[in-house]
Amino acid sequence: MLTEIIVLITAFTLMFVDLFLKRETRYFLMSIPLGGLALAFISVFFLSNRKSFGGQFSLENIDLWLKVFFILCAFVIVIASFSFILGESKETCHKKQIYSFEFLTILLFNLSGMLFLVSARDLLTLYVSLELSTLPLFILTAWKRDALSSEAGLKYVVLGALASALLLLGFSIFYGLTGTMDLVLIGRSINVSPLFWFASALVISAIGFKLTLVPFHMWAPDVYQGAPTVVTAYLSVASKGAGLVLMFQIFFRIFDISSFYFAIALLSALTMTLGNVVAIVQENIKRFMCFSAISQAGYLIMGFLGGFNANSQAVPSLVFYLFAYGITNLVVFLVVIWFIDQTGKENIKDFQGLSRTHPLIALSMMIGLFGLAGIPPLSGFIGKFFLFSVAASSGFYWLVAVAAINSVISLYYYLRIVRQMYIEPVLETTTFSMNLSTRCVLGSLVIASVLLGLVPVFYETILWTWKN
Amino acid sequence: MQVSCLVFLPLLTAFLVIMTPRRFSHLIRWISVFGTGLHLVLTIMTSFLFWAEAKGDGELLRTSLVFKLHLVEKISWFDSLGIQYFVGIDGISLAMVVLTSIIIFTGVLASWNVKERAKEFFALLLILVTGVFGVFVSFDLFLFFMFYELAVLPMYLLIGIWGTGPKEYAAMKLTLMLLIGSAFILVGFFALYYGSGFYTFDLIKLATASFPVDFQRWVFPMIFVGFGVIGALYPLHTWSPDGHSSAPTAVSMLHAGVLMKLGGYGALRIAVFLLPEGAKYWGLFFMGLTTINILYGSFGAIWQKDLKYFTAYSSVSHCGFVLFGISALNFMGMKGAVIQMFSHGIMTGLFFGLIGMVYGRTHTRIISEMGGLARVMPWLATCFYIGGLASLGLPGLSGFIAESHVFLGGFFGNAWQSGVLMKIFTLIATLSIVVTAVYVLRGLGRVFQGPIENVEFSNLGDATLSEKLSTGILVAVLIVVGLYPSILIDVIEPAIRPVLNRLGGKI
Repeated sequence: MLTEIIVLITAFTLMFVDLFLKRETRYFLMSIPLGGLALAFISVFFLSNRKSFGGQFSLENIDLWLKVFFILCAFVIVIASFSFILGESKETCHKKQIYSFEFLTILLFNLSGMLFLVSARDLLTLYVSLELSTLPLFILTAWKRDALSSEAGLKYVVLGALASALLLLGFSIFYGLTGTMDLVLIGRSINVSPLFWFASALVISAIGFKLTLVPFHMWAPDVYQGAPTVVTAYLSVASKGAGLVLMFQIFFRIFDISSFYFAIALLSALTMTLGNVVAIVQENIKRFMCFSAISQAGYLIMGFLGGFNANSQAVPSLVFYLFAYGITNLVVFLVVIWFIDQTGKENIKDFQGLSRTHPLIALSMMIGLFGLAGIPPLSGFIGKFFLFSVAASSGFYWLVAVAAINSVISLYYYLRIVRQMYIEPVLETTTFSMNLSTRCVLGSLVIASVLLGLVPVFYETILWTWKN
Repeated sequence: MQVSCLVFLPLLTAFLVIMTPRRFSHLIRWISVFGTGLHLVLTIMTSFLFWAEAKGDGELLRTSLVFKLHLVEKISWFDSLGIQYFVGIDGISLAMVVLTSIIIFTGVLASWNVKERAKEFFALLLILVTGVFGVFVSFDLFLFFMFYELAVLPMYLLIGIWGTGPKEYAAMKLTLMLLIGSAFILVGFFALYYGSGFYTFDLIKLATASFPVDFQRWVFPMIFVGFGVIGALYPLHTWSPDGHSSAPTAVSMLHAGVLMKLGGYGALRIAVFLLPEGAKYWGLFFMGLTTINILYGSFGAIWQKDLKYFTAYSSVSHCGFVLFGISALNFMGMKGAVIQMFSHGIMTGLFFGLIGMVYGRTHTRIISEMGGLARVMPWLATCFYIGGLASLGLPGLSGFIAESHVFLGGFFGNAWQSGVLMKIFTLIATLSIVVTAVYVLRGLGRVFQGPIENVEFSNLGDATLSEKLSTGILVAVLIVVGLYPSILIDVIEPAIRPVLNRLGGKI
């Protein structure tokens, strides 16, 4: 539990130190969350196979990687939010914005919720940690306090509350059917009955909400567009990861996965198709990335089709793709955040000629987009290949075909941005700078997104953890 | 090591090009020429190595039915999924690698005049060609697929940025259609992976699996059509005229010359080789489609006003021969198909190279606006005529060898398909020879013969040294293969026998 404690202590420290510092010295505050996250990152590796609170909180095989994923995401987001917090961003400069380090405090609280979610082994803990990983996001979404952002926040709260109510109802039915809170015990003692199916449907719809599966994705476009770009990035990576963890927890520990194969395949096909088709017509880059993220969720859940036995490649592939997707999506978002911070423009057209004015940044963006589309030799390709292989192993060839064709559709709209950056002529020749820390992070993420696909060590390690 | 060098040398060159500062544009060109030239030398050395190894097997190789691979390199990669880095060379690969090496070298020479963003252009071109080499030497399906996609994608930027005409439309159409084809291929590969029960992507191992007949019957068309898209199979060829005519010279050369061969290569190497029962079931159907291909392409070429469209349609027709030969499912037909891949690659490379050079001088590609150009550019005209004669199958040039093999293959028939239908298809396909003669002679006549119609054209120059070198190499290859075809056939034959063996046909 050390990791979560470190994250929480960091959050509180940040909040209190913030009170006693003068305006000029506040720059220094950035080091607190970064240091805390680094510590938390290290601590994860010392804690494998621990159980505490009578088994209600435990850290087993694959959990390690999920926690690493969330911490990495938060780390990148903290760095990316630098100019937003300091009020240098064009996105918010039309308002008088105070230095807002509470932003990071709330982000860290949210992170701790996700970390708890990974380790929860009990209905109640699961529910509470899920709330902790959702509620702070409502605040962050409305952070800009303009019309769009407030609308987004409100929409998110209302629909989020609905989803969480459905989840709670589902959970209470599980409890009523079995008389226990322990996830594994529920899984062992539950019998298939109409009530069970009803509860499952409720739970799946709540998962669908968190993971933006079609048809539970309705909230996403407006929220993604209205939220500050940093938060959009966080939503599309970490929050999606949290949804995946929730799904994993419930399907791995409670349900007999094989009876849900068809439902999952159907959800997956619907999600990726709708996400991809609607993304084609988007003009706003944030909305565009939202639909791209929706379709990615469709690919992600293909990983559940392989079942959970120790020899199956399903879960390792899933976790690998989560990393691959997270990294590539963050690459794209780092560029988008930087772009919006500098110019305040959000349309795809505004990227016109970026390759001439900022060749390296445009190259990173292109690598990121190709990674999302799944072009070799990037990690996105290998990750998708593994997921397709998982689906094929259970005989879902039609899903593989749908997914492969969807990849082509997705390439079409990713190429739209590439075209703006590389083919269209330059309109504005003003160049902007990118601060050193963002540049370092962007560079390392790009390199990681290439290397993950070429060097098998990472995947083999995940596989090894899963088997043991 | 040898084979890996062949694959990664272009990538290394691309890296060097990227590292060179933009202002040394001459250096960038020289690096590219040097890199591809070195590659050509290496390829020739590899051919000798291949011969040396193959000679060792002596007579065995001539009659052997077992799959014999040379210069093999095998390193396990994603071990848990049975993915290996597995490259090697057999006769067909060798022919294709030599072809690619020649085309990229001449292509780089032919694009000496690319000034705009030269650095990116050469880098992308070299990355693309890495993918192509990779496809031709990989014997692991995963590796194969990875290189295949790598070969398709840079095309988008190459056409989109440096192309002419409706380039963005053409680039997008080409990329999407090819990738949809690859989506089908991917599904097919997974089916092979799980259907074999071996859980491996190793092509040689998969070839020992016996897939159920029903399974083969649905997987075969998936893979064949997937490759058919890039091989310009009839209803799916529409990307090719637009793509080829919008692309810059070197890219058209590479694309029509080499990339379209990936289709024939994959169809033969993977679809027919691994799924013989599927091939027997569908062979006739695809033969019919390719007959349409051959005729449609050649009739289409007659009406074209733009030199590049003209050549692109003739490409569709000629690539039809490749798939036609393969779907004949006999020794002669497949041999012809591979020779046609090689010969057409060189021929189209030459055509597109020449068109680029002519366009660079006249700034028009419309056939009717030209005329009498032979007076001012005799070298280019001569090369053009030799290429044209090869394309209509004049004996003594490589086109004749290829087409005669393919037609003979069609006539010979095989044990599983209706011989009468095959003969009818072949008869219809032979009509294209006449049509080809019509459009080639008419087209070239209008461009090069007669008086010079446009006064401005009368002081245009002939080919420069680099252009002479580039076209000269291609013409020489056309003639050498035409006069001494065994140089190619001896290499190809042993590689086709295992395919036939798996089909169960006589040799």
